[in-house]
Amino acid sequence: MSVTAETTRREAPTPGASAALRDALRSTGIRTWPVIRAVLAGTMALGSAVGLSAVAAWLIAKAAEMPSPADLALAAVIVRFFGISRGLFRYLERLASHDTALRGMVELRERTYERLAAAGAGRVLTLSRGDIVARIGTDLDSVGDAVVRAIVPTGVAVTVSLISVGIVTAIIPVAGLVLAGCLALAGFGTAALTARQARIAAEAGVKAHAEVAATSLAAIESASEHRIWGTTSESLARVEHANRDAEAALEAEARPASAAAALLTVSQGLAIIGGVWLAVVAIDSGQVSGPWGTVVALLPLAAFEAVGAVPAAVQQLYRSRAAARRIQELTTPLAGTAFAATTGASKPADNTPADDADAAPHVENRTDPRVGTLTLDRLSVAWPGMTPTRPISAELHPGETLAIVGPSGIGKSTLLLAIAGAIPPHEGSALLDGAAVTPADTGHRIALTAEDAHVFETTVLENLRVARGDVTADEAAEALAAVGLDRWIAALPDGLDTMIGSGGHTVSGGERRRLLLARTMLHPAPVLLIDEPAEHLDKDGQDALRAVVTRLKAEGRIVVLVTHHESPLGYAERRVDLRG
Amino acid sequence: MKPIDPRLVVRIGPARRYILVTAGLGLLTALLVAVQALLIARMLAPVLAPTPLTGDGLGWLGTLVPTSARELSSGLPLLAGVIALRTLTSWLQERLAHRAGAQVISELRSQVVAHAAAMGPRWIASGRGADVVTVVSRGLDDLLPYFVRYLPQLALASTLTPILIVLVLGLDWLSALIVTLTLPLVPIFMILVGLVTRERSEKHLKAMQTLGARTLDLIAGVPTLKALGRERGPAARVRELGEAHRKATMGSLRVAFLSGMVLELLTTLAVAIVAVTMGFRLVEGGIGIETALAVLILAPEVYLPVRNVGTHFHASADGLAAADAAFEILDEPLPAMGGDAPAPDAARGAIVVTGVGIATPDGVREAPSGADVRCSPGTLTAIVGANGSGKSTLLLALAGLLPPTAGRISLETGSAADDAPERDAEVVAQDGALLVDADGWAKQIAWVPQRPDLGPAGRTLSLGQRQRVALDRAFESGRPVLLLDEPTAHLDPDSRDQIVERMRALAASGATVVVATHEPDVVHAADEVLTVESREITEVSA
Repeated sequence: MSVTAETTRREAPTPGASAALRDALRSTGIRTWPVIRAVLAGTMALGSAVGLSAVAAWLIAKAAEMPSPADLALAAVIVRFFGISRGLFRYLERLASHDTALRGMVELRERTYERLAAAGAGRVLTLSRGDIVARIGTDLDSVGDAVVRAIVPTGVAVTVSLISVGIVTAIIPVAGLVLAGCLALAGFGTAALTARQARIAAEAGVKAHAEVAATSLAAIESASEHRIWGTTSESLARVEHANRDAEAALEAEARPASAAAALLTVSQGLAIIGGVWLAVVAIDSGQVSGPWGTVVALLPLAAFEAVGAVPAAVQQLYRSRAAARRIQELTTPLAGTAFAATTGASKPADNTPADDADAAPHVENRTDPRVGTLTLDRLSVAWPGMTPTRPISAELHPGETLAIVGPSGIGKSTLLLAIAGAIPPHEGSALLDGAAVTPADTGHRIALTAEDAHVFETTVLENLRVARGDVTADEAAEALAAVGLDRWIAALPDGLDTMIGSGGHTVSGGERRRLLLARTMLHPAPVLLIDEPAEHLDKDGQDALRAVVTRLKAEGRIVVLVTHHESPLGYAERRVDLRG
Repeated sequence: MKPIDPRLVVRIGPARRYILVTAGLGLLTALLVAVQALLIARMLAPVLAPTPLTGDGLGWLGTLVPTSARELSSGLPLLAGVIALRTLTSWLQERLAHRAGAQVISELRSQVVAHAAAMGPRWIASGRGADVVTVVSRGLDDLLPYFVRYLPQLALASTLTPILIVLVLGLDWLSALIVTLTLPLVPIFMILVGLVTRERSEKHLKAMQTLGARTLDLIAGVPTLKALGRERGPAARVRELGEAHRKATMGSLRVAFLSGMVLELLTTLAVAIVAVTMGFRLVEGGIGIETALAVLILAPEVYLPVRNVGTHFHASADGLAAADAAFEILDEPLPAMGGDAPAPDAARGAIVVTGVGIATPDGVREAPSGADVRCSPGTLTAIVGANGSGKSTLLLALAGLLPPTAGRISLETGSAADDAPERDAEVVAQDGALLVDADGWAKQIAWVPQRPDLGPAGRTLSLGQRQRVALDRAFESGRPVLLLDEPTAHLDPDSRDQIVERMRALAASGATVVVATHEPDVVHAADEVLTVESREITEVSA
């Protein structure tokens, strides 16, 4: 639970943000016509409300002249029609705008996935699952909401306002002018005020929010420490202080928000006063007939509903912008870190056409011949701000195994990323046959199984096919037997075709470890890196691990294991301890 | 679903006050809307009536707006006054809503953080601690739209709507009848639509969630795919799943939006029917123009809050969920913290651990299990053992932060020799309870956990630096008992030697020093070494 992740929700709409949203919306491939269709349906819906109010006003005023009922028949039919059409068109508008947005999301999700897949291994392998899920899930939806909740309502506000002004202008031109002025005041004024509110939220709000999260986290997670040192009340006071700041920030946001609410009411009020005044004067002087004058007087009562949606639309626009920016950041290298350089290097891997998706992996992993030696030459890694790991050196030939041992948090997993070529080392180098490893090697000549490697929500067999697309049922069964999962698979309802993962059969920590081990075994890469293979493994599991490593060695593969366990690595002929 | 969480009203002062004020503003708004409608009717009626108006078309409601308002010269200023008041009301409502929302969030946040901080280390480490931070830093924010958008509309729906119906009744009973008959149809039809479509929408919802989860699952696995060189393939699958997800979502929306359509349909159709009915009655002279205009203007206003409550349904659901999450935390009982006995003076004797076992949160294992050790003043005791064997947990128990589930921790005064007959023991903690005053005991303990927090000052320091500062604080505290958890992790060999030296020096000056460690140097410097182990809790021993 990182504090920065918490705060990104209200991230500042930096200058690049609106460009990011435009970019993201372009990536959705949403065409103009479906959006216009949604706006038209929305115009019909809210236009019906305006129409109902106008025709009903005409009807009542006409009826007051006591004509024959037949003169009212048409108006009565129109009033009833508008009474029905509003709900109907609103329904159509919602369907149309959601469908457009969802189609765009499918496109954008695929593009984002492609960009993610093409991004440097160093960028992708260092992303947390939470980040990916939050951005592809929530943030993509937020971009889609820009269509449904910002673009379409704004379009409808414009068209309905124009229609209202048009009707009134045709009857009493001056009244049309007044209505236009009031609608413009309401629309642009509330938009400006809401934008101001969003900016305050982004500046003061984000800061206050981050402080609240940080102080709360400190107060809760270090509660025991505060008790021991008698600092509980101080830590709670800090939360309280951050709380006050957050309250003050909200208060600052409330000022333009309440001004916007007041502005909407006062502009509608002015339009009503103007309408009634001009209509009464015009009817009295005989310039217009009673029924038409009444339309001018009463139409402002219904004309402001569309404009009333502007503040929410502006807020959505700001939210979508921030989301688009975060999505963009997901696939761009981290600026200012040692890893910024890695993305460019992934180009060699980009030659597989993405549309030929299913066939591609089979070829991809077959390309590589054997590798002679893996050399680690005074290799050391570091994150920004982290103490560099102790330099290690080793030379491995096919059939040899290296065990890297060290306590948690010392940088073992980062070291594996460097050996895999995903990130550049801090110092020293990792070489395959004398040439430094590159991100193009990651997953191809060097396969990495991370400690938190993903078990997909699909069948057992498909999970193994993640390593190699053409794994047969027999190969899979054999690999599972090698890791001691033969009895487990026999007990599953559908054997290899049993669904696993969060949607299916649950997998325990030990079973998951073994499954990942089987998957690693099936990967054709000549160099295999495995992070914490012994974690969660009981005695039998340890034996299975030993069997697997022995077998991989017999196949002539180079295996690098990383662990904080001392015991299980007797079969590794090389061993380096990161503690020195 | 309840529209308001009673706990908000009962326990959170600002929420209660706000609900009362909002109801009051709702009444005021109802009055202003009514007067506005009547004023417009008054001003328009004379120019529309074929013959000069004789009676008062507004009946008893005429007392609200005098007939003199039929003249523009007196009607328009009154209308302007009403508009000014409405503007003020909407400004005030919005302002108060924001303020109340901010205050409620702030108050709940303080309460939740204080409560969570008092829940003890186990609860916090169980993941509930992470939940709390999520609730506090983002979940509670959902209360703002609830207060700003939903509650005011709810207040209007329960004040303005009934009041306006009474006013319409005062003007024209037939229109009032139409309104009163259609209004209950809104919830009835919405429930009916909900019932009819429930099965369908549940099916769609389930398909939608499954597909959404699978898409995310695939994407979340990108690092794994990348590490195995297989990231290219699934792009098409992402699209395929996305298409299926879109179709499922549209299917569910087609159903879900039906209730919205029914709501809009009924409310606008009712207004249309009222208008048409009045039109034909006007022709027959069954109703006056002034009355008809007033009813025409009022009718849509009756339905407006009801419609808005429907629109802001999500704000309500999210807000209530946030409040519920907060109250769920607040309603967890606080663990008992310490007993009534005064804390013994730890400087006077040895802390003796006898058969101490501490159950893991899932209750499956004990870590540590059956620990026995005697930590005497003037000695350095090292606790060693594999990861997860309970080293840190034992330190928590010694600090009085976590009572052992089995065994006993006591302070033995008198001779330190094992066979001295006149030893005097005072039990500190036993059988799942701390028996002495927790604060009195804590005051004598200098405990440095693995990731010390030093407040805002510590945030700019690296973990190693923070550890140094925290150790300095402990070494200089003058407290008789030092409990140090892996004090040499994150430190270079030189600093490590220094720490060992200082621990020895403190022990030499009479302090009781206990250190959990993996470091051979530290173990080597210790007078006493305890190896802790975890063990599964078997049914028999329980």
